[in-house]
Amino acid sequence: MIGFDFEYYKPNTVDQAVKLFNDLDSSGKAAIYYGGGSEFISMARVNTVYADAVIDIKEIEECNQYKMVGNDLVIGAGVTLTEIAEGDLFPPLTKAVKRIADHTMQGKITIGGNICGTIIYREAVLPFLVSDSRIVLANKYGQREELLRSIFDERLKLNKGEMVVKIIIPGEFLSLPYMHVKRTKNETIDYPLISMVALKNKGKIHMAFSGLGDYPFRSHNLEKFLNSDMFSKEEKIQQAVNSIENKINDSLSGSKEYKKFMLCNVLNTVLEDL
Amino acid sequence: MAYKSQIGTTITRKDAWDKVTGNAKYTGDFHFNESLHARVLTSPYAHARIKKIDTTKAENSKGIRTVITGNFSDILVGSMIADRPPIAKDKVRYFGEVVALVVADKEDEAQAAVELIKVEYEPLPVVNSIKDAIKENATLVHENFDSYAIPSKEVHHVANSNISNHVKIRKGNIENAWQTSDVIVEYEFNMPQADHLAMETRNAKCQISPDGTVDIYTSTQAPFGVKEQISTDYGIPEGKVVVHTPLVGGGFGGKASAAVEFLAYLASLAVGGKMVTIANTREEDISTSPSKLGAEGKVKLGATKDGKITGLECIYYINSGAYANTAPNMARAAATDCSGPYNIENIYCDSYCVYTNHTYATSFRGFGHGISTFGIEMAMHKLAKELGMDPLELRKINAIKEGDLSPTQSLMTLSNTGDLDKCISNLKNIMNWDAGNKITTDKGTIITKGVSCFWKTSSSPTDAGSGAVLICNKDGTINANFGVTEIGPGMKTTIAQIIAEKMKMDVNDIHVFMGVDTRITPKHWKTVASMSTFMVGNAAVSACEDLIRQIKEVASIALKCSAGDIEIENKRAFIKDDANQFVEFKDIAHGFKYKEGPSIHGELIGRGNYIAKHLLPLDFETGKGKSGVSWTVGAQGVEVEYNPEIHTYRLLRAITVIDVGKVINPKMAKGVIMGGMNMGFGLATREELVYDENAILEDTSIRTYKVMHFGEQPEYIVHFVETPQIDAPFGARGIGEHGILGIPAAFTDAIQQATGKEFHKIPILPEMIWKTVTGGKQ
Repeated sequence: MIGFDFEYYKPNTVDQAVKLFNDLDSSGKAAIYYGGGSEFISMARVNTVYADAVIDIKEIEECNQYKMVGNDLVIGAGVTLTEIAEGDLFPPLTKAVKRIADHTMQGKITIGGNICGTIIYREAVLPFLVSDSRIVLANKYGQREELLRSIFDERLKLNKGEMVVKIIIPGEFLSLPYMHVKRTKNETIDYPLISMVALKNKGKIHMAFSGLGDYPFRSHNLEKFLNSDMFSKEEKIQQAVNSIENKINDSLSGSKEYKKFMLCNVLNTVLEDL
Repeated sequence: MAYKSQIGTTITRKDAWDKVTGNAKYTGDFHFNESLHARVLTSPYAHARIKKIDTTKAENSKGIRTVITGNFSDILVGSMIADRPPIAKDKVRYFGEVVALVVADKEDEAQAAVELIKVEYEPLPVVNSIKDAIKENATLVHENFDSYAIPSKEVHHVANSNISNHVKIRKGNIENAWQTSDVIVEYEFNMPQADHLAMETRNAKCQISPDGTVDIYTSTQAPFGVKEQISTDYGIPEGKVVVHTPLVGGGFGGKASAAVEFLAYLASLAVGGKMVTIANTREEDISTSPSKLGAEGKVKLGATKDGKITGLECIYYINSGAYANTAPNMARAAATDCSGPYNIENIYCDSYCVYTNHTYATSFRGFGHGISTFGIEMAMHKLAKELGMDPLELRKINAIKEGDLSPTQSLMTLSNTGDLDKCISNLKNIMNWDAGNKITTDKGTIITKGVSCFWKTSSSPTDAGSGAVLICNKDGTINANFGVTEIGPGMKTTIAQIIAEKMKMDVNDIHVFMGVDTRITPKHWKTVASMSTFMVGNAAVSACEDLIRQIKEVASIALKCSAGDIEIENKRAFIKDDANQFVEFKDIAHGFKYKEGPSIHGELIGRGNYIAKHLLPLDFETGKGKSGVSWTVGAQGVEVEYNPEIHTYRLLRAITVIDVGKVINPKMAKGVIMGGMNMGFGLATREELVYDENAILEDTSIRTYKVMHFGEQPEYIVHFVETPQIDAPFGARGIGEHGILGIPAAFTDAIQQATGKEFHKIPILPEMIWKTVTGGKQ
């Protein structure tokens, strides 16, 4: 039960959606873009999120694409995790989204919603951080396309009123060797203690994490140590862990020290097997 | 057609079709258009003085009928110690405690108004653990304890302390025991609070009619308890309080005493008796309504070198949280059965119930026995290791048997306890015990087997009773009405089977009233303590005997013979030595009509009752007394696969062998044992209420409070031993809670063997294993 009333809009185009946002905003209303609703509904019922209006983007065709366009894979912001996994067009993404929430929720949660959400883990972003994925954003001034990781710092840096339209994964990243590891406190379905996606591109390992701290990240420092020729495996792991030490914290999932233990183990697996 | 026995056979539950089609109705499914709705504001502090509550804005909010605070009523509630204001007054004692209640036309309007209430608090030092509670000069959670009414005669409060109850067991001479011991072990443990997490969150409706009748619709295990509590606490004649309970979506003890019912009553009273609905969110069900108790304990066990236990000394601290509720009685229950199912001649036990600034606790599956079982069983493992003895052999040597005395000095018989030795033998066979307990696999994982025994009695009041009424349909079938609530295990069906068996008719001809209505249903104390089959079954048997007597009386007239000549079977009464002379039940159910027209007798109505016999309160100095009519014993085994590289584990197999006396419905009985085992794994591996340094509950939702999920369970094997309990219906013992009891100890034993380390706290999470094995280093 949600203790406040809100308006609900379901536009058919990106232009309509951003215009609606602008109009609502001009009339002093707090508006949000709305995907599957899982986060908004669950948080609104405990009053930790508020909106006067929600703009549902699921009827917008551009936000529903999930297909190859030329060499590249295009995924609309409104595509659900279940659809992504069933299509299985970008294997590390399939693996990552299949471990987010439970099967019922995966049918509701959208890729855009997971990446932009308030819940800090945003595990769907990891495969995009390790590839050169681009993101298409729109607001009243029009659309822009960016390298996703260039505007992802702790979370996606969106301008006011900006919505995610789609994500484009360049073809050359779709079939690279990869690894996905998710470890939890004790359950299959839970927030991550550590969630990791790694790709091997031209002999170099790219790696992004969630769960270790307050936000997902990719660390070039860490990759520098892992990809270095100067150290033994053990040294690489130790240097890599030290390089991101300040990003790791205690949480309900596990203590910082325990996360570091698991991180070492995960890095070891990546170095051995990828 | 020959009569076929209706017990010992799996019969589809009476509520099955409604449940699988979604037609089943729970309290929240009954909608009354006229009902108003209540929502509560809860405390963000664990311990604080309430300085000021400003409800002005909330009162002026849309659709609001009233806003009430602790000032609305001075009455304190609590069935053992009246220590709890249903709405906090002057101070709050736990995070999540109700501080104000809003009644509105609609639920969302009530919720919106809740956000507008402003409360000023002055934080107080928190009592955040048992250690905080019992230390010298501890902050008192209840500084005015002495002013409280104490309805229970068995509460022994320690003055000027947080100890609400102290229970002692003194049996034999403990000093002599230590002198004759070759080996002495000590084991300390800690079990945190947890949640019941029933699928249906607690919810109730209340209406007060112009004639003063208070109707309460609620999801409870204790409709009669709710009736009596509301009546006693608020001075309403008992007959004016009517409690209606349909199907209940799980209880596990969490619905065994009134909680939201008080709020529903106060809310209705505040709006002139209009009907008010209140329903917990999941978060409120975890943090506001009562939880499972926490405990710490220390067990010292001595034995001779051939494995005979000489003595047991133990101390338990039960964390009741902010209010006592039924926890003082659980402290007592842990003490009364502290020996486990073993014959120990010298026992010295102290059990304390303490207040803290945590969520208050209430009854939970196992009722204190989960604590004593874990303590004694882990100490038994340590003892076996110390003696170099097989842990099951040690248990066999000491297994309780006919002629032994319980810790409270009750005399044991095979009938009132069952055959533990046989349970252990069967467990050994099923587990392939002699093949060894530790295997390293090709993958480098380690598979180990852990074991535990258990026992439990009812810990019920000395006057706990039940009733049953049978009325007849014109077609000779029977309608049965009895006070057990259907909380999940299929009790209505079990009792129907007992009635069918006694009446020698088909169970499909026994129709049960699935709900409870306290104005028309005969009382059953509470649907708790694994006592429904035993107590209500006995009442039902007695009602059948009453009905059979009447059938024979009328049939003897119809068949022109004496009642002693009559036998019944398959809905007909016939002459024993000439079955061709009979009368059908349908022709006598509503009276017998002579062929000329005149009729006699009228409707047949069977009535029966049961009350526990020879129960005695405990003597405060020695603990001598009798806390239950019978015990149920059993043995459990767990197999785990441990990954020594990352310290995770998988649950492979779990086995329960239990002496049930007589199985009434095999599949339902297996189901209830498996459910218990699954909850046991929840407590052993993940469930825990986590409080931060200010006693703020951190895992208030099922996002972070984890229970066992489908697919994570091991293979479950349930095996029954049947040693009849003479005074039970067809010999059937209580089994409702027992599946949970030994699982935490058996699991911990398996992990200890896999890691070679001792564990002293559950749940055992991989991080804890990592820390224990490595010392917390990478």
